[in-house]
Amino acid sequence: MLTHLFKLIWNKKKQNFLLIMEMLVSFLVMFAVFTLIVYYYQNYTRPRGFEFEKVWAVNYQSPQGMSDKDSIAAFNQSLKQLIKSMPQVENVSFAASNIPFSMSTHNTNVSHEKISEMAHIYAVDDEHKDVLNFNLRSGRWFSRADQGSRETAAVINADLAQKFFGNGQPIGKTIDFEGKKLKVTGVIDDIKDKGDYQGPDNNLFIRIDTSNQAWIGAILVKVKPTADAAFESRLFKSLSNVIRNSSIEIEHLADKRVTKNNLTLVPMIILLVVAGFLIINVALGLFGVLWYNISKRKGEIGLRRAVGASGGSVSKQLVTEALILSTLSLIIGLFFAVQFPLMNVFDLAADTYYIAIACAVAFIYLLVIICSLYPGRQAASIYPAVALHEE
Amino acid sequence: MIRLQNIEKVYRTETVETLALNSISLDVPKGEFLSIMGPSGCGKSTLLNIMGLLDAPSKGGIQIDAQATGNLSDKQLAQFRNQKIGFIFQSYHLINDLKVLDNVELPLLYRSSTAKERKQLATEVLEKVGLSNRVKHFPTQLSGGQKQRVAIARAIVGRPEIILADEPTGNLDSAMGNEIMEILINLNRQEGTTIVMVTHDEQMARKTHRLVRLFDGSQVQ
Repeated sequence: MLTHLFKLIWNKKKQNFLLIMEMLVSFLVMFAVFTLIVYYYQNYTRPRGFEFEKVWAVNYQSPQGMSDKDSIAAFNQSLKQLIKSMPQVENVSFAASNIPFSMSTHNTNVSHEKISEMAHIYAVDDEHKDVLNFNLRSGRWFSRADQGSRETAAVINADLAQKFFGNGQPIGKTIDFEGKKLKVTGVIDDIKDKGDYQGPDNNLFIRIDTSNQAWIGAILVKVKPTADAAFESRLFKSLSNVIRNSSIEIEHLADKRVTKNNLTLVPMIILLVVAGFLIINVALGLFGVLWYNISKRKGEIGLRRAVGASGGSVSKQLVTEALILSTLSLIIGLFFAVQFPLMNVFDLAADTYYIAIACAVAFIYLLVIICSLYPGRQAASIYPAVALHEE
Repeated sequence: MIRLQNIEKVYRTETVETLALNSISLDVPKGEFLSIMGPSGCGKSTLLNIMGLLDAPSKGGIQIDAQATGNLSDKQLAQFRNQKIGFIFQSYHLINDLKVLDNVELPLLYRSSTAKERKQLATEVLEKVGLSNRVKHFPTQLSGGQKQRVAIARAIVGRPEIILADEPTGNLDSAMGNEIMEILINLNRQEGTTIVMVTHDEQMARKTHRLVRLFDGSQVQ
């Protein structure tokens, strides 16, 4: 029967061409949608690598007129002591403005021997690890002991360590960054500081010392569970008194995370709605074509019933025909889709593409089965004498 | 071979009730070539459809080969048609998207036969109806007579005991019609196939063993 249906489809290739194209385009759209969904889902399920709850971010600018590095360092140190002295504060970290979930980024190429990678650069102090509770895989976070050493201390994430050093030991090795040598003191787990749906990045943490105090743009304050709005107000007032002529803003990382996630989710939802409309159109088109086929093929259906086909086998034939057509379009679609993992397009993991391909294939088959079942059942219910008479 | 008992067929719409067949009782013995005649709309084709289990009577019973068909399921009826009955239609009912050979193989697709067996049987019957040189043609490339011969080949490929022909020569000129009639007569004589033929043509009807006339849904002869 399958060979018979192939012959029938092949002999009607001109009529079937547009239907095959429609299913092909649907597959490619669904492949794109599922790739995004799978990519975001895989990222979402990855561990975050740090804690953001009860961490507040204070954005500020250094006081105007203070250009001397030592003065800035001394000012920041006294500021840190002030905040730390507050009873609701657990810990304080100074950092450049590209703190977790912020819109700021600082990335550049870093290299080790002949390997060069684009990495996010974070200028942070010694307390940063404890404020965000990074998990150290090996080595140690930089500390006061690293001050004055010939090579600036740096901590990298596991992904970057793997790229630079493979399975070798990264601790004590050097990385080239903007013409300087950085010494790796520690490796932390990968972090998702750009939002829950963002993929793994290369992260390089550089210790803030007297020379790069000017980079500081934010203070991360880890507060105790008792910290409330009243404390936030007190903190704001205290900082305003110390940092004069500067705009100060206190944000909660939890809120920043929501905002950052929305930046990914909103376009995704818009894309899903657009794709949803497209799929509804395709489904209606498919349904219409199959329905039209039945009215056009009533004579053939009647004849098949006359020569021995039961209602069930007529219905099965129509659904199988639709599935064969979708298989043909999927074969063409798969040819294009597999190029993405093979050619490493968009630098996504191959398994993201393969899962998306499987989902898109299953979706198209499901769509075709749903759209062909009802017309198939309608065809099965036609009385043979009626179908033959209407031809 | 075929026994119709008090067959009645009523077509109902919301406002109208039409009696298409009125208390028809008919016995068609095995090996008979029976023709049914009557004016247009008298119920000839309806009777043939009921005999061929393509339509259900409103009242009455049908026995084919001593088997009552009233309680058979859709699947059983389909199997019955496939095994016992071959159909020939005035408008041929060939599938234009299939080649002649594939059209003839059609009834065998609903049996458990291999592709090789199907091809062999279809080739044999096409040879029988003189179309062995048109195997790879599409129906649209054939004349009316050739199309009807393909339809006959399709009807007999499954070696049915009964052939029901609904005006098989109706769309053909007299020469072609005679050719088709010859094939049917030979089938009846040589294979002993029971044939029931609906026709408008008195001359064709006279070539058969028995003639039944219908008028306004009732048997008048």
